[in-house]
Amino acid sequence: MAIRKIMCACGSGLGSSLIVHMNTEEVVKKLGHPEVEVDHTTISDINPTAADLFVVGADLGDFISGIPEEQKVVLSNILDKAELEEKLKAHLG
Amino acid sequence: MSAMSDMLKRENVQIVESCKDWEDAIHVAVQPLVDGGFVTPDYIAGIIENTNKFGPYFVLAPDLALLHARPEQGVVEQQLAVTIARTGVEFKPGEPVRVLVTLAATDPDSHLDVMRILATMFADPANIEKVATAASADEVYRLFMEA
Repeated sequence: MAIRKIMCACGSGLGSSLIVHMNTEEVVKKLGHPEVEVDHTTISDINPTAADLFVVGADLGDFISGIPEEQKVVLSNILDKAELEEKLKAHLG
Repeated sequence: MSAMSDMLKRENVQIVESCKDWEDAIHVAVQPLVDGGFVTPDYIAGIIENTNKFGPYFVLAPDLALLHARPEQGVVEQQLAVTIARTGVEFKPGEPVRVLVTLAATDPDSHLDVMRILATMFADPANIEKVATAASADEVYRLFMEA
């Protein structure tokens, strides 16, 4: 499935998720997918139809158990762009 | 004024030796923003409540926490505070965090510039170490202003 929208989420939707949002925008461009839309929100607003791919920190992995595996990226270090790039690459190609 | 000097005042940077536990650390790290009128005391309870609900999702990297709650949980005006806890605070057992950055944001986006600076600064673990071991609060403040 082509990924058109990536949603980054954290507990309050404006700290960790905003950082991941900025890093994700940078990485998708680097990977040659500038058309992908990126946004951030709170974890409680996540549902499988809100985006094609969801990015969260490891602490919140359990809170998106309703999202299928192929639709999520769980980061062990939120600030680590190398980890983000490697994991996004697996989804975006 | 740069995004950082708008968001961080010298009086909101402090160094403490230790905190009793993670809840105490949240009190200590948010108090400067309460004193300055940037958040209401509810903001402290809000961060603790979120932590109990979601876990310490604000621990962004080893040794670094970005404490924050939602705007409606008590934010008056957007602002940052920085607390260095020399002995570290265990939000998760065995993972002490020395650098506590408290964020008060009024909406999901308007603090984007300062977050960009923080993300770039702390992407390098050496910069976290520099802040954690800075000799004085003046020095910590300077490291943020120069970021």
